[in-house]
Amino acid sequence: MIWPKFKDWIDERYDIAELKKLAKSKLIPQHRYDFLYYTGGITLFLFILQFITGMLLAFYYIPHIDFAYESIIDIVTKINMGWFFRSLHHWGAQLCIVFVFIHLFGTLLVKSYRKPRELLWVTGFILLVISIFFGLSGYLMLWDERAFAAVRVATGGAGALPFVGSFIKIFLRGGVDVSGDTLTRFYAFHVSILPLLSLLLIGLHLLFVQYHGMSTPVSLEKKEHKEEPFFPNVFYKDMMIWLVVLGVVVTLAILLPPEIGKKANALAPPPEGIKPEWYFLFLLETLKLFPGIIWGFNGETIAIVCVSIGIFFFFLIPFLDRKSSRGEKSPIFTIIAVVYLLYFITMTLVGFLS
Amino acid sequence: MKLKYSLITRRQFLNTLFGGSLIAFFSGTIFSLTKFAFPTLGKEPDFVVLNKTDFADIPKNSAKTFAWGGVPGLYLKKEDGSVAALKGVCTHMECNVTYRPAEKKFYCACHKGWFDETGKNIAGPPPKPLEFFEVTEKGEKLIIARKGAKVDLAKV
Amino acid sequence: MKIKLFLQIIISLLSFPLVPFRVRRRESGSFKFQNSILSLCLFWVALFFFVIKPLAFAEEKIPVFPSTPVEAYTIYASLAVFWLAIIGLIVIIKMKLNEIDRIQKLGIDKEDNEAPLLD
Repeated sequence: MIWPKFKDWIDERYDIAELKKLAKSKLIPQHRYDFLYYTGGITLFLFILQFITGMLLAFYYIPHIDFAYESIIDIVTKINMGWFFRSLHHWGAQLCIVFVFIHLFGTLLVKSYRKPRELLWVTGFILLVISIFFGLSGYLMLWDERAFAAVRVATGGAGALPFVGSFIKIFLRGGVDVSGDTLTRFYAFHVSILPLLSLLLIGLHLLFVQYHGMSTPVSLEKKEHKEEPFFPNVFYKDMMIWLVVLGVVVTLAILLPPEIGKKANALAPPPEGIKPEWYFLFLLETLKLFPGIIWGFNGETIAIVCVSIGIFFFFLIPFLDRKSSRGEKSPIFTIIAVVYLLYFITMTLVGFLS
Repeated sequence: MKLKYSLITRRQFLNTLFGGSLIAFFSGTIFSLTKFAFPTLGKEPDFVVLNKTDFADIPKNSAKTFAWGGVPGLYLKKEDGSVAALKGVCTHMECNVTYRPAEKKFYCACHKGWFDETGKNIAGPPPKPLEFFEVTEKGEKLIIARKGAKVDLAKV
Repeated sequence: MKIKLFLQIIISLLSFPLVPFRVRRRESGSFKFQNSILSLCLFWVALFFFVIKPLAFAEEKIPVFPSTPVEAYTIYASLAVFWLAIIGLIVIIKMKLNEIDRIQKLGIDKEDNEAPLLD
């Protein structure tokens, strides 16, 4: 009884017939690979979950090196269900980045980056970088030994870039070394700058998706395929999947709460067998492949430059893949995509097992 | 008796079921969120323990402040030598009150409220008297407890 | 370690929750397939993190989980209830979807702009 009244109230004030028509006209193709359409939505859902749990944690977290670690211990031991929301935030972040990568490689393999959707790839790529930076900056908030060492290595690695390296390093660190200023700066990034940027970019990303509609793989484009309306069919399917993802995150949060290591000490050596977060492992292993000195040049600089070129090429794929822009099959880029995916998986596993 | 036609439509049934489950699900979520948002730290204590030596020798007709959680408590030594302890917080808008020995009254500067020696609100906006505590001595310690609160002697 | 193994089985089972519902229409078959692909993904993710994660942690024990048995059992029981709620919601949504499919098959879901208004 209330719902029709509510609808009438809106109708008497706003003409949303156009919007309704637009919503009703959104159709999702049905084919062999249509499960990939859900990966973006899952990533969005996890992002929203992170926003909510992050806002909650911000109630009690203190971003100062003398209090950060202690405030997290307070959250975990003294606040009602504090341990749960911290654990949820941790696992939400892990799964979010997993699904960002699944979404990334999914779109890469079915080439939905091709014309006219290049800007989706561009905004998506920037969102990937933002997500990784979210992970790194959030991780430092704990201010334990592992986070401290991880940030030192990550910002130090960025500093190895020629010319711009030291500027980037000092900008990120808020100084020459990782210190309390780094914590404050990363807090600003994590809580204010990155959320606003990501909201803007996600808005653009979603806008472009609505504008272009869902893309179908090249091989299936010419064939007849059925389509189902987004509202209400796919919307409810999305909801079911999001519920399951929520269930998984909550289960992981309860059964595997993340530990809290020792407080960071700038003068102490890093703990034994330390490793960065798993989404950095492939970069670390790649760097390890390069020898210290190559033809008289600093091996690390060459390594970083090579990695940067690889990532830059990856970024430019939609603009380099001429065949798929024309709507033709592009087997070379399929191979390139598979190579990137296999490389990522292999190097991550190598990083884990070494 | 079997009905020929259903009393509710399929749509109503499904929507009610769905809406009801959603409400149940989200009320559980919101419950845990609100529990989190209300902090457990910084609650008012039931009693505090002070050193007798710090408070025994204050001059008559004066008050000394002690910590009662995050707000001031006042330890008052009256003209006749008897002692009392009270929460030094005005019952109007929770500003801190001070003791005026000259008038033998408590004064709240925020809205010019006055309380007499027994804590009764005599002038200005305060609606209720000041809260007094029970003072007990235990050896070298003073125990200031909220009226009616159980003092766990093991914790003292 | 035995408890961990036990929990590992539970997690794998819990991340594989999508029982193939008895779909009456054949065109929902692809959804069944993609559903299982996604749950497979979630299954492996859960398995992966469960085995690898615990190996990387420090020894100092700050209690990141309530230690009293009462609280621990309350939490596990709530987890079970939570999953029941999710499964219940999914069942209801599937019922709704079936109904929507049925309506769309009959073709009665479209708004008829030609229908005359009663004056």
